[in-house]
Amino acid sequence: MATSNVHKWAALPDPSPAELARAAEGDAQAFTLIVERYQGMVYSVAFNVLGNHTDAEDAAQEAFLRCYRKLSQFRSEASFSTWLFRLALTASVDYQRRERRRPEPVEVPDLVDEGSPDLGDGVTAAALTSALHDLPADYRVPTVLRDVYGLPYQEIADVTGRPLGTVKVMVHRGRASLRLRLRAQGVRPAAVPAGARPGSDV
Amino acid sequence: MDCSYFRERINQFMDGELGYLEVAELQGHLSFCADCAAELAQMSEVRGALAAWGRLELAPPPGFAERVMAAVEREPLPGAARPFGRAVDDALDKLDETLGRVPLPGGRTIPVRNVIGWGLAAAAVVIGLERRHLRRSRELNPS
Repeated sequence: MATSNVHKWAALPDPSPAELARAAEGDAQAFTLIVERYQGMVYSVAFNVLGNHTDAEDAAQEAFLRCYRKLSQFRSEASFSTWLFRLALTASVDYQRRERRRPEPVEVPDLVDEGSPDLGDGVTAAALTSALHDLPADYRVPTVLRDVYGLPYQEIADVTGRPLGTVKVMVHRGRASLRLRLRAQGVRPAAVPAGARPGSDV
Repeated sequence: MDCSYFRERINQFMDGELGYLEVAELQGHLSFCADCAAELAQMSEVRGALAAWGRLELAPPPGFAERVMAAVEREPLPGAARPFGRAVDDALDKLDETLGRVPLPGGRTIPVRNVIGWGLAAAAVVIGLERRHLRRSRELNPS
């Protein structure tokens, strides 16, 4: 089952109420601390939705501007990181809908932690980034929201402004297309275990 | 039933949308269909890779935080007076978010609301000048 990756970011310590209050009043130093602490999260979301550095930087900047404008409306029922994560998602999806850029070459992003990430059998960061990049945006955005960030389908429909049934079809096609693209790049998933059954750990 | 039916079921299974009878039906098919069994295994690996990717933190480009703060410092203070009221300001915020910011020479951008404000001000000046011109024309040519 899809598990939300929001929890990973929620583990970051929230700014204190006093820090948030200062930032909400326009204290640049307090807001700088927020930007420095959360820039990796916001930028990661933007890059994964948009697939290139130029658009990701614009959308991530827009997310922080929205945060700055709306900070006084933040209520502590949700954690600050979850609230900012949603702002980053909606800013990135809005940017994707608004901008019609020419396709750019595949860009493999740098990771904050050094070393090769463990993405499963034979799947490298370069292969996955390239496969995601080559997906049409209509498939990539809902597939990223569903399988990278674990959002429920209804929320994806709300964020993207598309009907629920359409979103499901796009995610299903996105997954199938990713599987084929990874295979075309030479990624050979592990052999199917004998008697593979639903109910195994998927 | 053909495999296309079960390919759809595989997606629904991965999303946790199947009841136990439907899972049993899929299980029965996979027990003799190697292609669909391979599809489930491979799709599960793709989803696993995507979820693992989502847990990684990508490094923003150098100077990103400084550029964000430069843009923030061009914004009005968030606590500044709201002369048009919160509802109107919220509607203008939504407009900015939908239409984005307008680029200026030199790489700066300004909110759409500013462009609209300048447009309304320019229209008011033009209308005022036009009315003045009409009034003077009538004074000079009373007939």
